[in-house]
Amino acid sequence: MQEAIKVEHLSKSYGNLRVIDNLNLSVKSGTVYGLLGANGAGKSTTIECVLGIKKADIGTVSILEHDPQKDRTHLFQKVGVQFQESSHQAEIKVGELCEETACLYKNPTDWQKLCREFGIGDKLKSEVKNLSGGQRQKLFIVLALIPNPELVFLDELTTGLDTKARREVWKMLSKLKDEGLTIFLTSHFMDEVEVLCDEICILKKGKAVFYGTVDQAKEQSGCTNFEEAYLYFSGEEAEAE
Amino acid sequence: MNSFKTLLKNELKLNFRNMNMVIFAIIIPVIVLIVLGFIYGSKPAAEGMEYTFLEQSFGALCTISICAGGLMGLPLVVSEYRERKILKRFRATPVSPTKLLAVEFTIYVLYSIASMLILFLAAVAFWKVRLYGNLLAFFGSWFLTLISTLSIGMMVGGIAKNTKTASMIACILYFPMLIFSGATLPFEVMPGIMQKIVSVFPLTQGIQLMKATFLGLSVSSEVVTPILIICVITILCFGISIRYFKWE
Repeated sequence: MQEAIKVEHLSKSYGNLRVIDNLNLSVKSGTVYGLLGANGAGKSTTIECVLGIKKADIGTVSILEHDPQKDRTHLFQKVGVQFQESSHQAEIKVGELCEETACLYKNPTDWQKLCREFGIGDKLKSEVKNLSGGQRQKLFIVLALIPNPELVFLDELTTGLDTKARREVWKMLSKLKDEGLTIFLTSHFMDEVEVLCDEICILKKGKAVFYGTVDQAKEQSGCTNFEEAYLYFSGEEAEAE
Repeated sequence: MNSFKTLLKNELKLNFRNMNMVIFAIIIPVIVLIVLGFIYGSKPAAEGMEYTFLEQSFGALCTISICAGGLMGLPLVVSEYRERKILKRFRATPVSPTKLLAVEFTIYVLYSIASMLILFLAAVAFWKVRLYGNLLAFFGSWFLTLISTLSIGMMVGGIAKNTKTASMIACILYFPMLIFSGATLPFEVMPGIMQKIVSVFPLTQGIQLMKATFLGLSVSSEVVTPILIICVITILCFGISIRYFKWE
């Protein structure tokens, strides 16, 4: 199977603080990969280094066989990104933001249809700042899917969504995965990870402490519940006590 | 090219919605024209002159919107987009920084064109202002003033760390240029030493050029140096803003 993302020996420091420490990732095409870890474990920085937005100190990254630093314009025709913080022009409307995003790509998807599928089809004329947290989150997932991507990065994809909306998003993503989309996500919801992810990596203070499947994580930790297995690896359980 | 048009359309809509530029680049110049019109009417610029005071000031009036766009609008919008992480989102798309800057640049060119046309039509209709010089020469000097001022703004927006720095630099550039380069205070009334100081502003040179071409005054050979200076500044600023463009 082809590799959609290959990361080798990635390290990144801010001053003396090492945020990512010798990280290796391999994401196969057509799978869902979950990057887990506590707040501040280095998930977002990892995504930014992988995308080439931040420059890693050492290590190599290849996405869909492109170097993200050198080959930005070609790469991002095929890659959609949802950042953790949603950023948009102050007074822009939903439809305008979608249109403005779609026009940047060669073969964009039908964003009106996509908005309807995500349940925000009636919001196109609303200003983005007036959406609820959940609607905005859905909108930014839509934006990441507009390029008709082969690979999509979703940073905390369902934060702010209610239970029903989260399930709807899972369903949409599973459908897209069946159509061949590769998904790289971060999440704090272990039920979500269990449902969606084929493989996971757990980060603790910038170091990968576990690579494998959800079942392997349960097995290695001796926990029957995945959330406990996650806490076992990420060390959050011990710190909480 | 299609993405350029869509971006331009959307960004222009957002800019209108914000109203700042409509006020500073369209309405304010018209107000200044009306005030000058009521004070001076069709009086000659000075005793015995064949052109009126308004005709002499027309070039300077056109630069009010150029200043507003180039020294306030453009640097602030670019640095705001960086601060709000909108540029970061664009960073993860195939769009080039040149295209984004070109879109914002075009918006302020359009404002300046609109302002010039409105001013010209109003001045002709109400105060019988007429162009004595060569239309092309006037457009040429207007255009030169426009792109040099916008290029300065683009450089500020392109490299300023955050909106605060950008707006500080913008203020430092905007107010002295607007007041002292002849856009509001006529160059002619300034004392000689002050004229020498403000001559370093590209805008001063631009206004002098526009005035000369509008009134059809004989353009001396000394004009080559200011044109060259303006061109060099423009190319330098464009180069810096693209070379040192920061997404974040």
